[in-house]
Amino acid sequence: MLRYQENNELHLDFHGTTNTTLNYIADHYGVEALKGILRKTGREVYKSIHEKLQKGDASELLEHLNWFYFREKGKYQLTVEPGKIVLEVFECPAIRHLRKLGLEPSPHVCLQTSEVNAGMCEDSPWRSEVQVLGEGHCIQTFTKEDGK
Amino acid sequence: MIPSDHFVRFYNEVFKFLDERDGLQPYYEEISRHQEFHCLKEFREKGLQGVYEYYQKIRVEENCILRITMEKDRMVSFMDRCPSLSKVLDCDAEPCAKYCEHCSGWSIPLHTKAGIYYVENMMGPKEPRCASVRTESRAVAEQAVADFLASGAKVEHIFSNLDRWEEVEKNKKEGRRP
Repeated sequence: MLRYQENNELHLDFHGTTNTTLNYIADHYGVEALKGILRKTGREVYKSIHEKLQKGDASELLEHLNWFYFREKGKYQLTVEPGKIVLEVFECPAIRHLRKLGLEPSPHVCLQTSEVNAGMCEDSPWRSEVQVLGEGHCIQTFTKEDGK
Repeated sequence: MIPSDHFVRFYNEVFKFLDERDGLQPYYEEISRHQEFHCLKEFREKGLQGVYEYYQKIRVEENCILRITMEKDRMVSFMDRCPSLSKVLDCDAEPCAKYCEHCSGWSIPLHTKAGIYYVENMMGPKEPRCASVRTESRAVAEQAVADFLASGAKVEHIFSNLDRWEEVEKNKKEGRRP
């Protein structure tokens, strides 16, 4: 069950503020500082996902990925097998909205995915990886160490 | 992607990071410049009506419980349930003690550029509600501050651009619609 149940109106313009924030932190404090904030977000904001992953349980992570990409009308494919979760995002809703607003996606835009995912997996048997294949197109992979 | 639903919980992490480095104010100014993209033109050209229209959209999209009334010389709003602070309080990560200040932090520079006075009673950093008055009249704004204080508001919870009144007046003359 999701810790943060969200099912009412969406304010997609928040993607614009996230984009501005990614640039601001990277420009003023460095990319490593930005990664630190995003990892902490993964660990602490998504504490319930993090704690479940530490116990080997990916159920909330799966629900989180599926619900929020679905909710924001992303084009994606979620594939699950024992010890492995693969989310291929064909059209990222955040980048799509930035383009709709006429904003240039931050060069750090994909860190919000890779570092938050990494934060959720920290000190757990799960590892995350993000391959960016093009603008708005990525493959997010979560692999369990023992493969089970 | 950080879901747009969860942006404010990320924002809260950014505030804590910046507050530890005494870096909140310049960041608010950057966010304010970003917000200009969304609403400065409407605020400048339509004045209070532009502010009203923007907040009607925000009321729906951000799921606010927000009452807004337009009077002859002011727009008065009561945020009975702020979705932003509510989410931050409903979060496994610790809330930033200054979380609410971001609202006046970005709003004051933007309203000042639009030639509009902004007066906010934040009420309290752990209370997801606030009240505000927007007006083009310096006298009305000063009265709003006095009224908030008379109603028991703490001085440190009142935010306004009255200290920038010359800039507000200048921008009002230069930027207002025909």
